[in-house]
Amino acid sequence: MSYCVNCGVELEPSLTSCPLCNTPVINPNELQKLRAVSPYPTQKGNVDVVKRKDFGIVTSIVLSATSLSCLLLNLFVFSGSLWSLFIIGACLVLFVLVFPAVIYTKLPIYISLLFDGVAVGIYLYLITFNTAGNKWFLGLALPIVALATILVEIFALLLRSFPATFLTTSLYFFAEVAVLCPAIELLIRHYAGSRLLLSWSAIVLTVCSVILVLLVTILSTRRLRDAVRRRLHF
Amino acid sequence: MKNINHAKNKSNQNNNGNARKKEHKVWYKLDLSAIVYPTLQRRDFSSVYRLSVVLKEPVCPDILQKAVDIALTRFPTYKTAIRKGLFWRYLEPNDRPGPFVQKDIRNFCMPMPFKAGNRYLIRIYYHECRISLEAHHCLGDGTGGMAVLQTITAVYLRLLGRPISDGGFVKDIKESPSPGELEDAYMRYANAKVCPARPGGKAYSIRGTKEPFYTFNVIDGIMSVKEVMAVCARYHASITEYFNSVLLYALLQKQQSEWHLKLRPVKIAMPVNLRRFFPSETLRNFITMVFPSIDPRLGDYTFEEIITQVHHYMRYYINKKFLRGDITTNASTQRNPLIRIVPLFLKDFVVRMFYTKVQDRNSSAGLTNMGALQVPEDMKPFIDRFDIYMGQPFSSRTNCAIVSFEDTLTINFASSIIESDVERLFFRKLVSDGIHVKIESNRQLY
Repeated sequence: MSYCVNCGVELEPSLTSCPLCNTPVINPNELQKLRAVSPYPTQKGNVDVVKRKDFGIVTSIVLSATSLSCLLLNLFVFSGSLWSLFIIGACLVLFVLVFPAVIYTKLPIYISLLFDGVAVGIYLYLITFNTAGNKWFLGLALPIVALATILVEIFALLLRSFPATFLTTSLYFFAEVAVLCPAIELLIRHYAGSRLLLSWSAIVLTVCSVILVLLVTILSTRRLRDAVRRRLHF
Repeated sequence: MKNINHAKNKSNQNNNGNARKKEHKVWYKLDLSAIVYPTLQRRDFSSVYRLSVVLKEPVCPDILQKAVDIALTRFPTYKTAIRKGLFWRYLEPNDRPGPFVQKDIRNFCMPMPFKAGNRYLIRIYYHECRISLEAHHCLGDGTGGMAVLQTITAVYLRLLGRPISDGGFVKDIKESPSPGELEDAYMRYANAKVCPARPGGKAYSIRGTKEPFYTFNVIDGIMSVKEVMAVCARYHASITEYFNSVLLYALLQKQQSEWHLKLRPVKIAMPVNLRRFFPSETLRNFITMVFPSIDPRLGDYTFEEIITQVHHYMRYYINKKFLRGDITTNASTQRNPLIRIVPLFLKDFVVRMFYTKVQDRNSSAGLTNMGALQVPEDMKPFIDRFDIYMGQPFSSRTNCAIVSFEDTLTINFASSIIESDVERLFFRKLVSDGIHVKIESNRQLY
């Protein structure tokens, strides 16, 4: 039988420290004794994953039926242009977005995001069939989609690897905006054949840099960090 | 039968294809309190409470499963699944296999997704000598849950060959449930001629560091009822008043130890069992909340002053007239025809907003006292003690539940925050008042 020297409460024999004040339990008479078994189970429980299979099946059927009907209408009734590719592409993007959320929930987040990027790329490629050429796709759309996908993957990786607080999430977000906007402007200029200079994105870059310096300062100074958390808690 | 609604629906054609049978499908409206709980459901939160009984010998899971299967037929509202209608949710009988008894876990009172676990809204666990029942609050309150747990325990003991009689919380499993057990008793008593305003005002909220998902911190204090009663007699207070005062005292000290731009009143949300005032045998929710409070902005309170304040608050507010007014206020929103025709998703949005922004900020902690539990005389030798847990708090705070059986009184604190300051201040006060407290906790298992 041990008592907490701080709180004065008797402690259940399996406890190695007082749960109220964290003072370690040292009973000189019972050093050699084996610790008693905790009255609580050690096994950890998990919430059952709810499979929304029915919703997934209905969504798949609706999207497939929409794509097929539009394709048939395009081939046999309104055959002026390949307009059905827009709808088929949209259905494909929707399916890829919905699939990990409702059907295959165990798909790793990075693979899901990669699929989302690929689906958007395919959709844009389908649009090229209705445009004069695919130069805009290879020179502009594909690099922007690839860059955006990589940045979203990095964002997910950072959120999962480090503590995700309001401040750190803002830091990652603004850092990525600072990379994305200048890259988009440079790609546009390169595609248009003009000089590789920063204009509007320089403003975004400056604003983001100021915010980033502020966030890094707050995060690196504990006192400031606590003050911000205290004032912004909700 | 007021609350049981019979919806006639055509049954499937029989194999011969000649006759059509008409059968009555029973369903249950959610009671007045139960309407709110499913609205607050989140991925990481459900309004689930736990009741446990600690027997004097280890539990045999196979026999317990049989006991659950037998006993649950007596409680039709606990063998249900929750469904969404266009305007309200409702309960419908659940004939899927289960609920199955499971090995207990350390992070109990886990969220209970409505579509998981074969859609059951109760879970039964066993661990060594302990049988635990977890129920979603939309099925019923602690009194209803206790009837289910004690009946399961009685059937379990009978299956082991022990003669256990019916009475009190132990229901006769051969009888069918009476209409009174299934009713929404609120509506019977919501007949005051005025709707008093709800007590408002922001209360002090504990600033705790949230534990990761799936963590449920428990600290149990076990003590002697006689010792507690002696201390209460010294302060001229009842046990509930005394523990309320100790919790308020702990919260006041906690607030004073922190940095605050301005102090706020310290309030406790305490459910009151309305069956004590309005005769009803319902096993569904029949509680209302009262909020004993202390305002530190008025000056420093001594513990004796807190006890006096709480004592008079209880005497003033917990009586038939005030409680009837409170029920009427709560029922008035549900009775309003304009509110009734609003689609469920809009109601959900508004109720969730109201709860998060107003109701949840209205109190600093929760405290419930189930009082001295009674069991049939021939069941007493097999029971060591009872434990009750109010479940995971909605926000970062701590909930306290008190129950006693024979001479053992247990105080169970449950929280999802790292800090245990309130618990420490609470138990230290009990120790300083001369009560011997034994502490159990699952905190070191994480």
